Amino acid sequence: MPVLPKYMKLNLDRRIIFILMAIAVIFPLVFKLGLPNKVTPEVKNLFGQMESLNDTSVVLISFDFEASSFPEVQPLANAILMHCFSNNLKVIGISLLAEGTALGEKVLKENAAKYNKVYGKDYVFLGFRPQVTATILALGEDFHKVFPEDYYGGSTADLELTKNIKNYKDISLIISVTDGDIPFSWINYAVARYNKDLAVLATAVMATSFYPFLNSGQIKGLVNGLKGAAEYEILLKKPGMGARGMDAQSMAHLLIVLLVILGNIGYWMERRKK
Amino acid sequence: MDLGTLIAAILTLFIFSFLYKDNPFYKFAEYLLVGISVGYFIVISIKTTVVPKLIFPVFREGDLLCLIPGILGFFMFLRFFPKLAWLSRISMALIIGAGAGVSIPAMMQAQIFAQMKASMGSYASINNIIVALAVITTLSYFFFSREHKGALGTSAKIGVFFMMLFFGATFGYTVMSRVTLLIGRAQFLLGDFLGIIK
Repeated sequence: MPVLPKYMKLNLDRRIIFILMAIAVIFPLVFKLGLPNKVTPEVKNLFGQMESLNDTSVVLISFDFEASSFPEVQPLANAILMHCFSNNLKVIGISLLAEGTALGEKVLKENAAKYNKVYGKDYVFLGFRPQVTATILALGEDFHKVFPEDYYGGSTADLELTKNIKNYKDISLIISVTDGDIPFSWINYAVARYNKDLAVLATAVMATSFYPFLNSGQIKGLVNGLKGAAEYEILLKKPGMGARGMDAQSMAHLLIVLLVILGNIGYWMERRKK
Repeated sequence: MDLGTLIAAILTLFIFSFLYKDNPFYKFAEYLLVGISVGYFIVISIKTTVVPKLIFPVFREGDLLCLIPGILGFFMFLRFFPKLAWLSRISMALIIGAGAGVSIPAMMQAQIFAQMKASMGSYASINNIIVALAVITTLSYFFFSREHKGALGTSAKIGVFFMMLFFGATFGYTVMSRVTLLIGRAQFLLGDFLGIIK
């Protein structure tokens, strides 16, 4: 491990930073501050696209995340599902990551129950399929070959929602709720090959990877992290997990900025002393 | 409060205890996470792949063609036996060959040509000019056939500036992501577990 020069060692116990961070997060959660949050154009675009769909439109939502990022993707999934169900869109849920299966099913069922949606008619959950590339390509050819059964073992040929779905032509929009790079596969195969519209709801850490595809029009909408979820909730006029967490997010960012400035001042003063 | 919430809260606190220092409670929660993740993946894979794609077609429907991918999959496990490990290369060759054949044209189209087209689009807006400048100068930084001096050196330096902006934005988003995970757990502990917030 490289040894830092003495003047670079600022003697601040890291546990003090952890305590400050805990206060910065907990205080706004308990005492709501109501800090302003502006809606960005990319979120507005997706919202507009969703609004343009009608009650015969089928949306394919792929829960492409793992348990470790669930606190970040859950508000995103909730926001988009609330929009789907409040506009009476039909929802098909799948997962291209094994861990996303149970979590995706949980989020889908919870939101469907809020709007009294009927399984098989308004929404279905088809579960996990391995080998991302093969699954995405095969969905463009024969939907029932990839998913002959739903997650619970029922035949997709018998379910009212899926019986007439043949391939991507019968799906209005694909939405990948993700914490990783699976949207690249959706872009490579579903968008480039089948010219299908794709929206991405991603963790903030993945945001910069997807912006070039939003700029090129390969992605129709991009919603990032807790802030994106909060913006979507503003547009829906239904404040939820995203809006509640944004005060804490802003305070935590403020603390980090202050610590970075203080750290640099300390570093600069130590060097001057030398 | 249900048992699931109680277990989740205790495990969250076990993980947070690492912030003070490494301890057996943290290690227990960490190993539990790894073990359960692997176990869950195996069960889901068997339930959604091995059974409906191999066992049922072969034994219920008598579709013996499904044995071919089944055997090739089995070969992959022979890597653990040095004398038979060579058989796994057959499966690997198929995976790499088919994978490359499918992905190279798709990636060229989606990630190279479409991105080039977007970078060369209409330059009516200031944003498009900045995008084009960033692409050209960043590419010039990775041009190593000439020493970075003169016009190429200046362009490469501007390219470094754009890359720094990208790294800064990415790091900022990473911080945001990590803070969100903390907020999610804090919301769970304060809400579902302690009932302090609604």
